[in-house]
Amino acid sequence: MSEQKEVVEDFDFHGEALDEIFEDYDVMLNKCPVGHSSKYGGFTYIAKSEDIFAAEQDPDTFAVAPSMLLPSFGTDDPLIPIDIDPPTHAGYRKILLPLFTPMNIASLEPGMVETAKQLAEDVISAAADNDGVADVSKLFARPMPTIVFSRLAGYPEEDWPKFDQWVDDIIYRRTKEPEVAYAAGGKITEYFDAMIKKREAEGGEYNDLLDKVLNSQVDGRELTHEEKISYSFLLFLAGLDTTAWALRSSLWYLAGNPKAQQQLRDNPDEIPTAVEEFLRTLSPVQAMARTCLKDTVVQGKEIKAGERVVLVFGAGNRDPEVYEDPHDIKIDREDNRHLAFGGGIHRCLGSNLARKEMVIGLEEFLKRVPSFEHAGGEVWHGVGPLTLRIGKE
Amino acid sequence: MAKELYIDLSRCQGHARCWAIAPETFGIDDEGYAYVIEGREGSYDEENVRKAIRNCPERSILIRETEESQ
Repeated sequence: MSEQKEVVEDFDFHGEALDEIFEDYDVMLNKCPVGHSSKYGGFTYIAKSEDIFAAEQDPDTFAVAPSMLLPSFGTDDPLIPIDIDPPTHAGYRKILLPLFTPMNIASLEPGMVETAKQLAEDVISAAADNDGVADVSKLFARPMPTIVFSRLAGYPEEDWPKFDQWVDDIIYRRTKEPEVAYAAGGKITEYFDAMIKKREAEGGEYNDLLDKVLNSQVDGRELTHEEKISYSFLLFLAGLDTTAWALRSSLWYLAGNPKAQQQLRDNPDEIPTAVEEFLRTLSPVQAMARTCLKDTVVQGKEIKAGERVVLVFGAGNRDPEVYEDPHDIKIDREDNRHLAFGGGIHRCLGSNLARKEMVIGLEEFLKRVPSFEHAGGEVWHGVGPLTLRIGKE
Repeated sequence: MAKELYIDLSRCQGHARCWAIAPETFGIDDEGYAYVIEGREGSYDEENVRKAIRNCPERSILIRETEESQ
């Protein structure tokens, strides 16, 4: 690192800004833990772990409306339940809470193992056909959550090939080409509008997330059609993109660190602890937005009612007051109270599913795919290609 | 005075880290919230339990004094 900057000007947490974002975090944490950026209409960021924790515990001061997402996810309608504040929020969240308990997720394990096995075999045969080189993002990290989550949610298999493009258009193009994101948002809205109408017209027995959304009550009433679409829209993006990133970034790290790769290959029981460290340091959710509802002071800086605020989870996860050698990825780090899934009332509903997918994905990948290294020099973030050279058995 | 381990349910958000780290002491209910398994209230000094306390993202695993002496 060259001489450290004094302030982070126009902090951004999307796209190319992620290339060097850990250096920005260092400056923020050491010199300006609360500051202002003019990006995305202007916001105040909060970088320290304790301050982020305190903000998450205080939804009366730091509300999610109009949206936790900055910029938006290709729609201006609030997404249920993440863009909803108390007291309405709890009723929506309760609908799916029981389905995401660790016990319920454990019942999905055999299917996940089977999927991960098959995808790992696909990686091996693709590499064999291409001088030992394969794109494990396209062949493994992306399809695994698509298959696992689509089955759980109830999306018909013939629709799966459409999903990656919608995710890319919304998550990865919204900062520079909002019109592309809104067009994809329109397609997802139409997709769920049609799926919900079809299910309601045909009836039938389903045991999936969509069924739960369609047939649950909130405050003693059924959800409106618009609410059902909103909930489905959110689940779609949350279930597919984040886990793909998390799997890809874990494999990205292991490709560049043969010692860690061998350690986990030889000791698969250490994978769950390593997963927590990958989540801490390379998480798909580096920051989320709030809106300040009443004048408050954080780290001596005043934040005014009405200001947009960004909680920089990725910075909090590298806070030297909380983590020893915060930038070092230590796959055996035991104390790891990271903020990758957020906290407070908006804690990621799917965290137990995501963890299980990551652990099983890495277990099956390492069990089957021989030692691998970078062949494409790709960046750590996103869900783009991850080109690896895969060794012989 | 004795001490006991408990979960502050106003803080627990269902991360389930305690259950992952110390399943002999913590259970998860049908909605995903943590509880201390009956009979394990006195296990607050065990290494796994201390680790679970340190890893709880919501800091909802607490120890309180009880009237009852054992």
